[in-house]
Amino acid sequence: MAKKFEVMVGNKAVAYAAKLARVKYVSAFPITPQTTIVQYLADMMASGELDAEYVTMEGELSCQASAITASTTVRSFTATSGPGLLYMHHPMHMTSWARLPLVMAVVHRSTKGMQPDQMDTMSQRDTGWLMLECQNSQELLDTGIMSFKIAEDPRVRLPLIFAGDGYILSYTSEPVEIPAQEEVDAFLPPYKRPYPMYPEEAEEARALMSEMWNPFVDPQKVWADQQQAAMNAKTVIKEVNAEFEKWFGRSYGNGLVEEYKCEDVDAVLVSMGTIASTAKTAIDQMQKNGKKIGLVAIKSFKPFPDEEFQRIAGYAKAMGVIDRNVSTGTRGGITFTEIRHALYDVDERPVTLNFHAGMRGKEVRVEDLKRMAEKTLKAANGEKVSPIVEWA
Amino acid sequence: MYGTERRGAPVVSFLRIGEQRINERDLVHEPDMVIVLDPLLGKSVPITDGLKKGGIVLINHPHKGRETGLGGDFKVATVDATNIALDTIGRPITNTAILGAFAKVTGSVSLESIEKAINDQWSGRIAEMNINAVRKAYEEANMPEDVSDLPPQKVEVKPGERDVSSWRVFRPELDKEKCIGCKRCYILCPEVAIGMVDGKADINYPYCKGCGICVEECPVKAIEFVQETL
Repeated sequence: MAKKFEVMVGNKAVAYAAKLARVKYVSAFPITPQTTIVQYLADMMASGELDAEYVTMEGELSCQASAITASTTVRSFTATSGPGLLYMHHPMHMTSWARLPLVMAVVHRSTKGMQPDQMDTMSQRDTGWLMLECQNSQELLDTGIMSFKIAEDPRVRLPLIFAGDGYILSYTSEPVEIPAQEEVDAFLPPYKRPYPMYPEEAEEARALMSEMWNPFVDPQKVWADQQQAAMNAKTVIKEVNAEFEKWFGRSYGNGLVEEYKCEDVDAVLVSMGTIASTAKTAIDQMQKNGKKIGLVAIKSFKPFPDEEFQRIAGYAKAMGVIDRNVSTGTRGGITFTEIRHALYDVDERPVTLNFHAGMRGKEVRVEDLKRMAEKTLKAANGEKVSPIVEWA
Repeated sequence: MYGTERRGAPVVSFLRIGEQRINERDLVHEPDMVIVLDPLLGKSVPITDGLKKGGIVLINHPHKGRETGLGGDFKVATVDATNIALDTIGRPITNTAILGAFAKVTGSVSLESIEKAINDQWSGRIAEMNINAVRKAYEEANMPEDVSDLPPQKVEVKPGERDVSSWRVFRPELDKEKCIGCKRCYILCPEVAIGMVDGKADINYPYCKGCGICVEECPVKAIEFVQETL
């Protein structure tokens, strides 16, 4: 089949993902820089390319609430940014509690400005949603399609956010390959309604209700089940990523992390999203000059790839973790904390450094990343470097 | 658009061209080429900062490269994109015209490719008008001229100053004789750039973005819209 390319912005790639996944319900409320996603989807519906219900809500809270209801029945989609996501916070706990495989695109926007950082999704860290990050428009489209398959897997059945940086991705045009609809249909089976709905399913519904309201069930069970499902997602994400590669010839690391040029290195930079993309150029230039440093791009933030970092600790003597986020009052960025947490169980722990970068859209240049790489390499060579956590 | 926003605000965007996937997502700080869509922009923004030695500035300007007021270790190509756009599209929307000049000056993209892209994006009359703009600009673009012996352009408007004169393509001109003092323009100007002096409207030009609302709303046609000249 002839490959179809189109030059498109990141937001259009997201809209294509929803379209190719044949979503049946889109709840929408505009917020910069997400707005054009729902505009593209509205265009696709108006032109008859996409057969779905589109409802403009009065705010993000009801956007999420209506998507919850819709996803009990049909494949649903919504998208938001920054403060809009914060406004969804309350019903988002409900989505994961109800174990609904709703997929949402988040176009990162700072909680303290229009420009991107990851504080919007990081503020939803413990809502029980899975979270995937993207580095380019192609990855947004591909991840969008994979997201539905991951979220809807019976071993997982959890809501999922796939995210990309606002402006840097949402409004940057680049060539994107659009997979054929028939192939996506074969890859992603039709939505399987997660709850009973018709009279003939009454017995199933009654059983569900009696379990829900059974006073003898451990009240913690709902959390324990969610935790198990999120951990199952590690396996499912890897499988879906590998299957996607078979169908479409593209994959993203092992689905959880992407190790870029990590053969024969002493140290690694670690990052997520577009900073990881720019870091690839920095790593190319460093390796050209004989420096032994690679890049680990975190693809899945939730579930967090602990085992991958424990394995990477086997070859990297230092990790320079770049966080486009901060957890004030703790000792650094959020992925930094998670990585250190994962490494606690490793006998020979690498040195871990943290750089806060790109907050509120502050530009992260190739030179900045090379400087961070140099510092990490110094630490790998046994030199004492400080501070451990710095504002880059 | 929100509130009083309109086309013409200084905006900067970046383009990288390559054969392989481009991973860099930082801004372009040392461009090979700078394309300037507004002839007056150089007065408020240092447009040639970081431009590589021997690089090219392509600017929307009615005159040839050496007469644009730009100077430095680079070459200047020009095209009168505003008037080409007014002729072909009927509005001062210069994006496609400048693209025609880009094709001519650099040779890195063919006219056919641009026309194909326009036909993908638009259809019918809109596509036709834009293709005409591209073709006209391709024919009329002035090739790069060396300006290394000329002094650099001075940036006159300092950051923070609220002079938006350079946004204007057209300027409202009031005929005080015709003005009846009805205050319509005074009330409707989104920039509060019109005051009342001795019962007549008074335009404060540094605040005027040239949106044309006053021209449209004046019941006695006392305000005329005149194209800005360089």
